[in-house]
Amino acid sequence: MYRKYLLAISSTLLIGAGAARAEDTVKLGMVVELSGAGAPAGTNWRDGVKIAVEEINAEGGILGKKIELGEYDTQTDPQVSRALVQKAIDEGAYAILGTIYSGSTMVNMLVAQQNSTPQFVGSESPSIVQKGNPFVFRTSSGSQKGIPALTNYFTDTLKAKKVGIAWVNNEFGKGGHDVFASEMKKTGIEVVADVSSEQGQADYAADIAKLKQAQPDAVFVYMNQEESARFLIEARKQSLAMPLVGEVTLTEAKVVELAGPAADGAIAHVGLTAAATDVPGIGAFDKKFEEIFKRKPTHDAIKGYIGTWTTKYVTEMVGELDGEAFAEKMHGLCLKAADYPKILLDTCWDGKGEMSRPSFIVQVKDGKAAVIGTVPAN
Amino acid sequence: MTPKLRLLIIIALLALAIAAPIGHKNYIIYVLTSWMIFTIASMGLNLTLGYAGQISLAQASFMAIGAYITALLTLAGWHWIVAMPLALFACFVVGLLLGYPALRVKGHFLAFVTLAFNTLVFLVLRNEDWLTGGSIGLVGMPRPDFGLFSTMKQLPFYYFTLAVTVLAALAMWGIVRSPWGRAFKALRENPVRAESLGVDTRRITLLAFAIGSAYGGLAGALITPLVQFIEPGSFALAHSLRILLMVIVGGAGYFFGPLVGAGVVILLPEVLRFTEGYYLIIYSALVIVMLIFVPSGLIGVGARIRAKLWPKKQVRADMAEGASLK
Repeated sequence: MYRKYLLAISSTLLIGAGAARAEDTVKLGMVVELSGAGAPAGTNWRDGVKIAVEEINAEGGILGKKIELGEYDTQTDPQVSRALVQKAIDEGAYAILGTIYSGSTMVNMLVAQQNSTPQFVGSESPSIVQKGNPFVFRTSSGSQKGIPALTNYFTDTLKAKKVGIAWVNNEFGKGGHDVFASEMKKTGIEVVADVSSEQGQADYAADIAKLKQAQPDAVFVYMNQEESARFLIEARKQSLAMPLVGEVTLTEAKVVELAGPAADGAIAHVGLTAAATDVPGIGAFDKKFEEIFKRKPTHDAIKGYIGTWTTKYVTEMVGELDGEAFAEKMHGLCLKAADYPKILLDTCWDGKGEMSRPSFIVQVKDGKAAVIGTVPAN
Repeated sequence: MTPKLRLLIIIALLALAIAAPIGHKNYIIYVLTSWMIFTIASMGLNLTLGYAGQISLAQASFMAIGAYITALLTLAGWHWIVAMPLALFACFVVGLLLGYPALRVKGHFLAFVTLAFNTLVFLVLRNEDWLTGGSIGLVGMPRPDFGLFSTMKQLPFYYFTLAVTVLAALAMWGIVRSPWGRAFKALRENPVRAESLGVDTRRITLLAFAIGSAYGGLAGALITPLVQFIEPGSFALAHSLRILLMVIVGGAGYFFGPLVGAGVVILLPEVLRFTEGYYLIIYSALVIVMLIFVPSGLIGVGARIRAKLWPKKQVRADMAEGASLK
């Protein structure tokens, strides 16, 4: 209702402003990892954003102005990402969509903040929202929220007494590892093996052997996509018997595609999954994405999609292109999927830009991720 | 080239550098500033590789040492002007310590030793979180403030970096014209003859390596306030290889080689960005073409053309095929 009302006002204003004004566009800067180690995540984000932009433009744009999307490839390099956020803002971007790797976001969000430009990020490192930057907003909850949601699964379902952790030693993996280790300490589960690996590592034979020797009841796997796939393949080779449980990446479409049958049985807590086709919005997005790009969308694609639609919804609530008013509106905002269908799931942002929404536990079965449980928003 | 003409060209280049960022937005200024900083880093490697003939794959790790020392000190409230010399000194000492055993080996072996050192520095930076912030890195380093001249904004920071680059270039000019510089070149062209002329080859090579490392440290000390965020990944082996590429593309052993090389490596991908998804492919292809057709680097192009047109003019035989692993 509210949206219709706003649309009516903005259309009237546009008619009043004349035809020349109607040709105005809203520039959005998509700064993301399109090459380098982050390319699997970044390209999915881009494709999700593209679908959203197309849909929004078909519905008349933001405040009646068509979206003009600028694409900027960070090469997964934090320094380049900082320069490109600057470039996007120099070129008139009203909001920034990206980046995904936390190391990049940590540096480029300062630039967006200095220019009062709202930024939707796909990063999950806890430190991002702890810096007190009022212009940064997540499109999925940080690992400090996601991982505790998984703890119950270890205690209640798996009834684990001792666990192993296999993680990638970069800012993403480190953040997740620390949260998980402290969660396990709180619940009294012993960590019997703590195996770190390098980004881009090719051989996981020693890591798996170490985990096998320690004989934990379950292993928590926290790595980026390509590393997760290599880990799963090696685990299958050495017949690692215990459940492999991850957060977000482990059961993602890209990992399943790369690992093939080795991914079967892997379990993960995910904020978003294209496998949740029971949710109408996600089902429709999944179908549309597959039609256009001939592959399954990952959670990054859904994140990009939601980030772009949120930009539209919130800008229209504010009623003008004002970064500061946008940021103010976002804090403490809750959007219900019933009123704002493209948000897909009921979503809230707190005063720091951290978000919460219901999440899922999924398991890979016969090469496909299937939802085996849901976790309420925390 | 007569000294007068050379002076004129240098003054023109300097005027160009001063005028370059005017009228541009922050992004272009940021890229130009990166160019200056990588010119300093590759100037250092050019001394080691181009003048003293020793291949090093550790320049990024010296940048890291310089960057982290500057970051830690400036975050603790020290002024950049105090932190920078300490960072330089540390790099010089580490360069000596690494060079002493490393320079017993040469060519491929030296490349491997420096490669291992680069990995070692990366691992230390990542694993010693209590000091370096681990993989999360350090963030929020201040830019230097000189009373009336604050470098907080992008344009003043560019001029500040330009001034430091000019000073570093003048110092390098002095070094390569000094008896040491002559010794470096003698060493590269014929180590046996140099030794027979009484040059202590080991000491001279070590000195070139340490000074080259200190230049890496200076580049690091400038990267810290420019990016205001450092993490180990920004100083990994790939970045050492990038600096090596700058020296080779520009022209190893030529004074202005690093300036041209850093320009190509930093600016060319930016210029090519309009090709969108293809820009990295085109960039890589262009670099390969350059290395095949002008192995002595872009700065040597003029000399090669002249040699073709006036064949009697002698080209420097050692540079005809560019820097290679000997």
